[in-house]
Amino acid sequence: MLPLETRDLARQILASEASAGDSSHAAESAALRVYEKLRRRLCALAGVTGFRSLACRALTLAKAEAPGLEQVQVLADGSLQGFREAEPPGGKHPDGSGEAILITQLLGLLIVFLGKSMTLRLVQDAWPEADIENCSSGDGTRA
Amino acid sequence: MSTRDKVTINKLPTGVPGLDDIVGGGLPEFSFNIIAGAPGSGKTTLAHQFVFANASPERPALYFTVLGESAIKMLRYQQQYTFFEPSKVPDSVRFINLSQVVLEKDLGAVLAEIIKEVEKSNPAVVVVDSFRTMVRKSQGSPGELDLQAFIQQLALFLASWQATTFLIGEYAEDELRDNPIFTVADGLFWLRQTAERNSIVRKLQIVKLRGQASVPGLHTFRITDGGLQAFSRTFGLSGHKRKESGTRRLSIGIPVLDKMMGGGIPEGDSVLVTGASGTGKSVLATQFIAEGIRQGEPGIVAVFEERPQAYTDRASNLGMDLETPQKDGNLLILYLRPLDLSVDETMNEILEAVKKIGAKRLVIDSLAGFEMALSPGFREDFRESLYRMIFALTGIGVTILSTVEVDESFTEFPFSTYSISFLTDDIIRLRYVSIEGQLRKILVIIKMRGGSHSQDIREYEITSDGLVIAGERLKGYERLISGIPARVKPSGEKG
Repeated sequence: MLPLETRDLARQILASEASAGDSSHAAESAALRVYEKLRRRLCALAGVTGFRSLACRALTLAKAEAPGLEQVQVLADGSLQGFREAEPPGGKHPDGSGEAILITQLLGLLIVFLGKSMTLRLVQDAWPEADIENCSSGDGTRA
Repeated sequence: MSTRDKVTINKLPTGVPGLDDIVGGGLPEFSFNIIAGAPGSGKTTLAHQFVFANASPERPALYFTVLGESAIKMLRYQQQYTFFEPSKVPDSVRFINLSQVVLEKDLGAVLAEIIKEVEKSNPAVVVVDSFRTMVRKSQGSPGELDLQAFIQQLALFLASWQATTFLIGEYAEDELRDNPIFTVADGLFWLRQTAERNSIVRKLQIVKLRGQASVPGLHTFRITDGGLQAFSRTFGLSGHKRKESGTRRLSIGIPVLDKMMGGGIPEGDSVLVTGASGTGKSVLATQFIAEGIRQGEPGIVAVFEERPQAYTDRASNLGMDLETPQKDGNLLILYLRPLDLSVDETMNEILEAVKKIGAKRLVIDSLAGFEMALSPGFREDFRESLYRMIFALTGIGVTILSTVEVDESFTEFPFSTYSISFLTDDIIRLRYVSIEGQLRKILVIIKMRGGSHSQDIREYEITSDGLVIAGERLKGYERLISGIPARVKPSGEKG
């Protein structure tokens, strides 16, 4: 189980992305757009192979929490297949949809490997509007 | 065209303590450099230190990672160093992975990718890590952009875009010849690490640096929590003018001995006090330091064989208060005992201490302990290192008194077991002598480079007031320095 702060961070990003979405993005979920943004940035940082490894691990962890993601696969370029069909937004899981759980797991892995500070820098760079300063701290309080 | 019209090459801080001095004040701006060495020698860390010391949001650093170490893991490990500021990523320091381009395309595509990113970001610093793996991948692929042409174009492009560049590679020294990359490079930093017995010895060499004079030779370095720290062979004093030797004499705190030395030790001299165990070498050294403090000359004692508190307590038993000057900042007792030290690291500590308190006097107690504290690999260079150290310290006006233990022999009169007498200006020899059924002590001034000195052999005692020279010179004996003297028979008396 990931700490509250990671889930909070994922929620903030998803909210920021959802509010930024326009009609041209209507067909895609905010979670997919978040994933794609992370993919582009992390591929630049770690290479496609490096990103794909992280994404596969995050998906495996997310599937344990959200069985609805069973059909989702990470393709060779790190993009996702079967993502939108997996579960409608706002699924039954208390932490949100399976998509949100996947994003949370991916962020969790980044925090494990790069640390919180650098992960937040990367996230803030991608979503300057997101209110990540006010994410929960590890003990559940506001940072 | 006058000399004033010559181009000024800005020097950039390397971010590595001690390295700026070695490279001649900083790294030339817009230079194209190679960092070479074996795995684990600190190449990536050195590059990171340079990157974090020079990158800004306006002129960021682009760090291209290629095949080899995972970028994520590299960041994970590198951020453990204190110089790594996560807040600089990604505004000032940007990591870009080129492995896909390298794997799937050729050197031309790699060059195009680098050009694209550089034009986009206008970086001050560019690093390619590891350049070697990129070149290896390209070899054996016919039809690709020629390696030499690639390096040439990369160097030209990055210099034109006003970027200072580091290419990192795992090279062996026999690859230095016939490799185009070393020809094109403006700077070549070679990092070495060797295991010697149970110690790791790290050394760096500036094999080449265009545009300015670097300090030649191998310089030791250490990798700590703060990254690399380099120790120049010239101890950072290469640009300093040697202090003119003056006529001032420093009192040792033993009036008779001062007189024997023509008024004391000439300021800036290196004095060797040599004798067997228990002859009072450390006592004499302590008196030298204590007298300096009495006269307002801060001092440093580098001890290797006992703890500073024990040294202080022993001085107290001899009526010398070393506690107060330590509190007042006039005395530093450095305990330099960890194994694996290099002379250069030890020197760095001593020099920092000299600067910190403005020391005029230094005691090294003892040279044998100093040598034992060194890594086995550095012991081979002990004499040479000692020479550099003494030359550097006396050059800034510090007067050094070193002690060294010699085996007491009753057939010889050695000055030192280290054959280092040539390093010193003055030598005071202490020794045991057997007289009338007692083991007594004598001292003699063996040499004083600065002038004449007493030829007398004087008896002394170690008392509660320290080393005390009593009476007149020992008369009526011959072969005193053999340790087994004989009475001189009065003339006319038959033996």
